[in-house]
Amino acid sequence: MFAVFGGFQSRTGALRPAVFKKLLQRDQPARGPSRGRWVSVSNSGGETVRPLEGIKVLDLTRVLAGPFATMILGDLGAEVIKVERPGVGDDTRAWGPPFVGSESVYFLSINRNKKSLAVDLKNPRGAQVVRELAGMCDVLVENYLPGKLQEMGLGFDQLGEVNPQLIYCSISGYGQTGPQAQSPGYDSIASAVSGMMHITGPEDGEPVRPGVAMTDLATGLYAHGAIMAALLQLQKTGRGGHIDCNLLSSQVSCLSHIASNYLNAGKEAKRWGTAHESIVPYQGFRTKDGHIVVAAGNDKQFVQVCQVLELIELTQDPNYKSNKLRVKNRKKLLQTLSQRFQQEKTADWLRRFEGSSVPVGPINSIREVFSEPQIQASALQAAVLRGRLAAHSARLHDYTSGASHCFSISAHI
Amino acid sequence: MFAVFGGFQSRTGALRPAVFKKLLQRDQPARGPSRGRWVSVSNSAGETVRPLEGIKVLDLTRVLAGPFATMILGDLGAEVIKVERPGVGDDTRAWGPPFVGSESVYFLSINRNKKSLAVDLKNPRGAQVVRELAGMCDVLVENYLPGKLQEMGLGFDQLGEVNPQLIYCSISGYGQTGPQAQSPGYDSIASAVSGMMHITGPEDGEPVRPGVAMTDLATGLYAHGAIMAALLQLQKTGRGGHIDCNLLSSQVSCLSHIASNYLNAGKEAKRWGTAHESIVPYQGFRTKDGHIVVAAGNDKQFVQVCQVLELIELTQDPNYKSNKLRVKNRKKLLQTLSQRFQQEKTADWLRRFEGSSVPVGPINSIREVFSEPQVKHNALIQEMKHPTAGRIAVPGPAVRFSSFPPSGPTPPPLIGQHTVQVLRHTLSYDDGLISTLLESGAVVQNEAF
Repeated sequence: MFAVFGGFQSRTGALRPAVFKKLLQRDQPARGPSRGRWVSVSNSGGETVRPLEGIKVLDLTRVLAGPFATMILGDLGAEVIKVERPGVGDDTRAWGPPFVGSESVYFLSINRNKKSLAVDLKNPRGAQVVRELAGMCDVLVENYLPGKLQEMGLGFDQLGEVNPQLIYCSISGYGQTGPQAQSPGYDSIASAVSGMMHITGPEDGEPVRPGVAMTDLATGLYAHGAIMAALLQLQKTGRGGHIDCNLLSSQVSCLSHIASNYLNAGKEAKRWGTAHESIVPYQGFRTKDGHIVVAAGNDKQFVQVCQVLELIELTQDPNYKSNKLRVKNRKKLLQTLSQRFQQEKTADWLRRFEGSSVPVGPINSIREVFSEPQIQASALQAAVLRGRLAAHSARLHDYTSGASHCFSISAHI
Repeated sequence: MFAVFGGFQSRTGALRPAVFKKLLQRDQPARGPSRGRWVSVSNSAGETVRPLEGIKVLDLTRVLAGPFATMILGDLGAEVIKVERPGVGDDTRAWGPPFVGSESVYFLSINRNKKSLAVDLKNPRGAQVVRELAGMCDVLVENYLPGKLQEMGLGFDQLGEVNPQLIYCSISGYGQTGPQAQSPGYDSIASAVSGMMHITGPEDGEPVRPGVAMTDLATGLYAHGAIMAALLQLQKTGRGGHIDCNLLSSQVSCLSHIASNYLNAGKEAKRWGTAHESIVPYQGFRTKDGHIVVAAGNDKQFVQVCQVLELIELTQDPNYKSNKLRVKNRKKLLQTLSQRFQQEKTADWLRRFEGSSVPVGPINSIREVFSEPQVKHNALIQEMKHPTAGRIAVPGPAVRFSSFPPSGPTPPPLIGQHTVQVLRHTLSYDDGLISTLLESGAVVQNEAF
């Protein structure tokens, strides 16, 4: 009944079927202390109905963009069947350190709320299993090179014959058609090709990539929405369809005003570090023990910054009277402010800014992020709503990233 | 009938009603050259039905995250009524240069497919108009500080009484409740607080922020999905609800494995420039005229890199035989590779890598992005005619559906361009009432229309 996973077996040790069964059961939503509307609300039958309850998702994706999207669909109540090749499974199962027990922490971060079905797609019988599943599922998500699934009899046209209502969401690097359709999708390459790296980095330095694969993640976010759009459309038309999500389009779309500057005014973008091109001071500053970001968007806030920094003379300097002037004379001003900020610790500066109208915040390390009271407030709420998944040998935080789903839905009572 | 907009008047000039009428008409989907499935598929009546056709969205958002979300809903066929305060309107209308004519290029980039209703929410009559609209709409999206709309009688509880099916999506900096709920949401601050800046920047340098506000944009993307999830849920439960999207949660959720490293293994993150912590070579390199990114994920690809660079000796070096060893001895290896890459131009390197299995790509400037054949193929340059700015172009929708074509978009509206239209057609107000509201200043119609 349980497939052998090759090398995987020795790492998992013996699994007691009871433990396994328990892990497979759908968690009952926990009923926690009342927090007004931000706890689960039942329908008249006393059960909580999630938006995608009853929806079956056949998940053929691997790595990040696809699994991130299907994880959110699972959070929303869909049944997600994750198809993995026997032995290796999803590539990220092997990515580490770190591992927790035998589990890759990378894999754990984006694969909750899914069932794993290990199938050899290259075996015709395996492909047939998936074909029949596609006949019973509402959604299929995949991130193969365009054409690859077709070769296995699992392409959009082929499965559409079996199930004309199937919503077939393809995630790729560059799109299903076009000159670069056959280039595999890597976040760092797509981030480079799409302009994201060019605009990220120190003002007089080299381009860098965002510290987490935002191109992949944006694609996953577009995909999760597109799938739900297709579900809504299905209700009107009675038909599914093929969705083309790709890294390039997702990131270029996200360029928004940066792209618009070029397309409409021929204005090329440059790197600004943490600073803002047209507002000063609006950036990060080194402190004695870290960094603080200050966003003084108008003259009143600039004056408050000077007051907090005890640099009142700056408010009298004609070179800094207006934002336009501050932008013009930014170098000197920022030098003065930078020197001052470095004299005190971040926490002290934050305290001193309290009560002012200047938006400020620390540049938090990951440890500091998860110490923020606001995050803990959300985490507590998420735990109340969702319960916890325990791996057999490790305690897994279901709150691996921000309030377990990014939003909570409460019903009108 | 048309209100005066003060300084705005001189900039818009005279507009012919005929032009305006045409712009307001719903564009017929263009039937382009057949691309297999990537053209519109009609229903039996021969019309294209978009996913959110028939859905009305009352959009009280401003700046980036909210407007980005509602723009996508508009792309999907929803009717988006953008509520703006008279005079100023959405903050981004004033953001520039650059401007095209009188239009902020920033505003243009994220506000297509919307109607503009100019309403003074602080005027009780104005608030009443919005309240009645909320009774007729399926979705309301807002990004006020938590509690602010409540003060105007437009909070979730209050509107829920009028319309229990209303989906009320709130977008904020930190959440609807909690110790920081009253902090206004700025992308750079949220990006800092949420850890994004800490992990972005040169390896031995200072943190930087992503060059576009990805925290805002991720929040908008979460919101657009959440709204559709709520529409699906409404069908099961018959009830709407309150959605809490915020910058902090969106960005922290996106930390994914970076966060998981810390939460499960106590592992703090650091900055890596363009490099990868555990794969070498997997990063950007300076070339003679720019930069190239090379992602050699395994030994076979590393050998190919050495071949292309004509540094065959590296394949024999015991220090670089496996990825683990290359990671261990990364400094020396990367120095060698860096020097070699700088000797040729990016285009030459790309050409030489063709046919290999090594993923490579140029670090494109924005101009280079929009010269990429694939970008053009994916219809990412969306052109349209704007009533005052003339021909404009914005980044197109990211996702294509075989079941409907990309919308021939309506251009971003002038402020108050559709005020009377919405009052008349959506709220069915008669002319007398409309005149009264206009005269009171509770609502304003763009005088050019």
